[in-house]
Amino acid sequence: MKRISIEHAQPGQILAQKLTRSDGVLLAGQGAEVTEGLLRMLARMNIDSLVIEEEIKLSPEELEEICRNRVASLQVRFVRVEKLPVTAALKAALIGKARRERDEALAAMVPEAEKGGEQCPA
Amino acid sequence: MSGLNDRMAAKREVKRIKNLPTVPGIVAKISRLVENPETSAAEVGRLITQDQVLSAKVLRMANSAFFGMSRKISSIAQALMILGFDVVKGLVLTSSVFDMIQKSMAGLWEHSIGCAAASGAVAAALGRDDAEEILVAGLLHDLGKVVLALNMPEEMGLIKAKVEKEDLFFYEAETAILDYHHGEIGQWLAEHWNLPESLAEPMRLHHHPERAVVYPEATAIVHVADVIIRGWGFGYAGDPLVPPVSMAAWDLLGLKVTDFPAILDMLEPKLSNLAELTQAGSVE
Repeated sequence: MKRISIEHAQPGQILAQKLTRSDGVLLAGQGAEVTEGLLRMLARMNIDSLVIEEEIKLSPEELEEICRNRVASLQVRFVRVEKLPVTAALKAALIGKARRERDEALAAMVPEAEKGGEQCPA
Repeated sequence: MSGLNDRMAAKREVKRIKNLPTVPGIVAKISRLVENPETSAAEVGRLITQDQVLSAKVLRMANSAFFGMSRKISSIAQALMILGFDVVKGLVLTSSVFDMIQKSMAGLWEHSIGCAAASGAVAAALGRDDAEEILVAGLLHDLGKVVLALNMPEEMGLIKAKVEKEDLFFYEAETAILDYHHGEIGQWLAEHWNLPESLAEPMRLHHHPERAVVYPEATAIVHVADVIIRGWGFGYAGDPLVPPVSMAAWDLLGLKVTDFPAILDMLEPKLSNLAELTQAGSVE
């Protein structure tokens, strides 16, 4: 979690701590999603910061490693049934799913890097 | 030889009588009510709603993403109408045994709801209209292991050691040590608790679905679901290995291996809502 100032808050972020008014009245609970409405309300109440969950950003290498570990644990679990056609197909479908999720996470990274402020100097 | 068999039979009988947990009071009452053909859904609803905590748990479960109902179920009467008698009874039972399952073995609750979700997904892939009922059978299929863990701790220790030492499936180690396994224990429990055969048969035969006679398809679905969720690696059912799929059960259902990706996709959102159902079952 991290505390951010309200100017940096964006709809879709998740509150890591509940938000209360100075008199203790609950405004939004822990785990609630930040919305435009909530931000307007906070601005009106002169609340200038909030604590949000940090997005977990994994590197391509970490994604690769997670996928590798998932496949390796599938190999272990299926060791007694990998030659039987039905369970072999189930294993293949689970491996396919692990790889697809890795590829989707990698693909989602590209626009993130493009819009990110830190450009590599040419 | 017969002396040995007699001793084993005697041992079975002793275990069977001494070690079964008592049926949760409310479940016994519902069972008695249901046995009477004159009983109306309203009467059963009244019985459940006498217990406020239980009613809340049952409604939370019925409304969880698990059942994927398009509209909110706001009363027990409505739950009885939409989900049916057996499903509501299964939910009452699940609420009653929730703490027991959680206490029994680390990972078994997760395995149980994972198997429930997978049972629902397989039933949906087959286009069945009794997916909720089969889901409840999946939820309760390993109750025999709960009895084993809570009431036969010594035997449980021996079985766990054997699983680890010899890389066996849990039911193989149980059979080697006890001469029966959690399926049979589940059956005794089901008889003792007067559970419907639609729950009892999958409990007894999810490792031998080809022997099922009354609910062969429900039993086959829970069997396949058990294999799928072990393959997924969700929860822990006493051993880390994926068992084979019974070809008789597979052929009976008419599933194809090309159905797996769609079933896994259906399962994903249900498993990520695990916390919701766990909260629904616990007392706040």
